[in-house]
Amino acid sequence: MVESQPGTILLIEDDAADASLLIRAFKKSGVTNPIRHLKDGEDALAYFEGIGELGDRGKNPLPILILLDLKLPRMSGLELLQWMRPRKHLRRIPLVILTGERDPTFREAAYDLGANSYLIKSPKQEDVLRLVELIQQYWIGLNEPAPIVLESRGPWFGSVHL
Amino acid sequence: MISTEPLILLVEDDPADARLIQRAFEKAALGARVTRIPNGDDAVAYLAGHEPFDNRTSYPLPAVILLDIKLPRRSGFEVLSWLRSRRDGLQRIPVVMLTSSRHNVDVNRAYDLGANSYLTKPDTNEQLTKMLSTFDQYWMAYNEHPSLGVS
Repeated sequence: MVESQPGTILLIEDDAADASLLIRAFKKSGVTNPIRHLKDGEDALAYFEGIGELGDRGKNPLPILILLDLKLPRMSGLELLQWMRPRKHLRRIPLVILTGERDPTFREAAYDLGANSYLIKSPKQEDVLRLVELIQQYWIGLNEPAPIVLESRGPWFGSVHL
Repeated sequence: MISTEPLILLVEDDPADARLIQRAFEKAALGARVTRIPNGDDAVAYLAGHEPFDNRTSYPLPAVILLDIKLPRRSGFEVLSWLRSRRDGLQRIPVVMLTSSRHNVDVNRAYDLGANSYLTKPDTNEQLTKMLSTFDQYWMAYNEHPSLGVS
C-alpha cells in the first residue's frame, strides 16, 4: 500500500507575526502536513472556488483542516464561514476558529454558522507550540475526516460524486 | 443567560462501553465530570430539561456531548438533528460522535447534521484512555465553550 501524502492545513490569518509564529510551531512540533497560508477572506474564497491559478487542485488541494482568524480585511472570518456553509464539499472539512476575539457574541455566531471549534490564540511562543501540538493530536491524529468529495467546477451544478 | 458546567454528557447504550469510557476518564485523572445517559430519548429529555431532568442544578447543561450513533429509541443522528434545530442556544453545544462505525455514510451524515467531530472507538483500553485524555484537554481545557443564552 502506498502511503498517501499528508493533507494540507489551510491557515487563514492576516497578521504576519501570528501566522509565522503558528507556522514555526507546526514545523517545530513535527507536523509533516503542508501548510498553506492565506492572508484574507477573499483569498480564501478564491482558493476554495479554484479561481484562475488556484484552479489546479493538484497544487491547491482542498484542505483537511482549516484554521480561521475572525478579524480579516475585506471579508471577515464569519462572512467566509457563512459562504462556506451551504457548500457540501467545504462544510465537512473541520474548521477551527483561531482568534484573539473573546467577545461571546462572536463565539455564538461562529458556532451557529457551523464552526467545529473555537480557540483563543496566544502571543507567547510556548503557548502557541502547546496549542499547535494539541490541534495536531486531536484533528490530525484522532478525528475521523469525511471521505473526499470531488467538487464540481461551477456552483450551479452542485456537487458531483464520482 | 446560563453557561455550561465542566460536564461531559456521555450518551452510550452499551453498559460495558460506558464503563470503559468512564474508567478511562478516571484513569487519565481528568477533572471533568461525566454523566452517562443510556438512550436517545433520555438524552433529549436531559438537554431540554424535561422530567426527570428538570432541575438544572442537578442536571447542568454539558460543555460537550459524546454521542454514540446506535442508540435505542432515538438514534444519535436523531438526537443531533434535534439539537441542531433548536434556536434557544442549545444548538451550539459541541457534539463529538464516539462510535465503532467507520462507514463513510455515517461519517458524512454526522458532519452534514452538524457534528463538531467524529471519533471511532479504538481497539484497546490503553488507546481509549489516551484518546479521551487528548479529547479532555482539547474540549475541556482549550476549546472556548459557546454561551448558550438559554434561560
